[in-house]
Amino acid sequence: MTIEVPKLSGSVISADATSEESIVRARFSGTADLEAKDDLQLFVSKLHPESVRISAKEVIVDFRELEFMNSSCFKIFVNWLAQVRDLDASKQYKILILSNPTQHLWQRRSLAALACFAVDLVKIEST
Amino acid sequence: MEYPFFHVSFAPNVKLVSTVRRFTAEFYERVLVDQEVSEKVALATHELLENAVAYSVDGETGVRIEVVEDLLTIKTWNRATPDRVQALKAVIDQMNEEKDADKYYQNMLEKTAYRTDGSGLGLARIRAEADMRISYAIETDRVCIEATTSLNRPLHGRKGAQ
Repeated sequence: MTIEVPKLSGSVISADATSEESIVRARFSGTADLEAKDDLQLFVSKLHPESVRISAKEVIVDFRELEFMNSSCFKIFVNWLAQVRDLDASKQYKILILSNPTQHLWQRRSLAALACFAVDLVKIEST
Repeated sequence: MEYPFFHVSFAPNVKLVSTVRRFTAEFYERVLVDQEVSEKVALATHELLENAVAYSVDGETGVRIEVVEDLLTIKTWNRATPDRVQALKAVIDQMNEEKDADKYYQNMLEKTAYRTDGSGLGLARIRAEADMRISYAIETDRVCIEATTSLNRPLHGRKGAQ
């Protein structure tokens, strides 16, 4: 099974998702601000059930090209993590977030907060 | 002695908020020669301005960022409905009652995780992630939000930045 999430090509944000076996890769680039919020919400709202459908073991979230994320968009990811956290353990998947805090300093504190929110599910990897 | 600041006001427009954030980051990176502080200032400016733009009831919102001695202050202002003014006061008062900014932020993440309306995270995020104190001043329907932080080292390049 492969994941089926329409590519997001918004005016300020882009995202796509692919899968290989039980690993999903979701890449985000641009700016996650109010202008991007609705598009991002739609994308993430499809990413989660698709990941469950294909019995993903891990979703790799690549934020390395994401310049900024506001609190409204941050909340979308908090909502997502809460949904994963609420799944039966057998259906949960891990989330590995790839970050570039050297270039985008906001990622250091914001992603650490996300990891604290779902400490057993989220890992942060910096490049 | 003059200190570097900038002040901009504009008709509420969410598309301009990211433009101001980028300018802020570059301006203060040049003034403060500290990328970490400039990114924190940029994050706080973005969150405050988005709030000001979202809740503005007339044709203007603004931001002023200034450095006086070792204190950096971001001020945003807008006019808002009485309900919004009261809600904002309550949120900030409640937030400031919890002295541990990180604890309050994590509690807010838990609360917001199942909410479908606005995030309510912006001010808590500024306090926890940008290490800034939040206060407000209200005159009738005019709301001014201030976020303040101490700079750890003296300014550099002050003249060149003005």
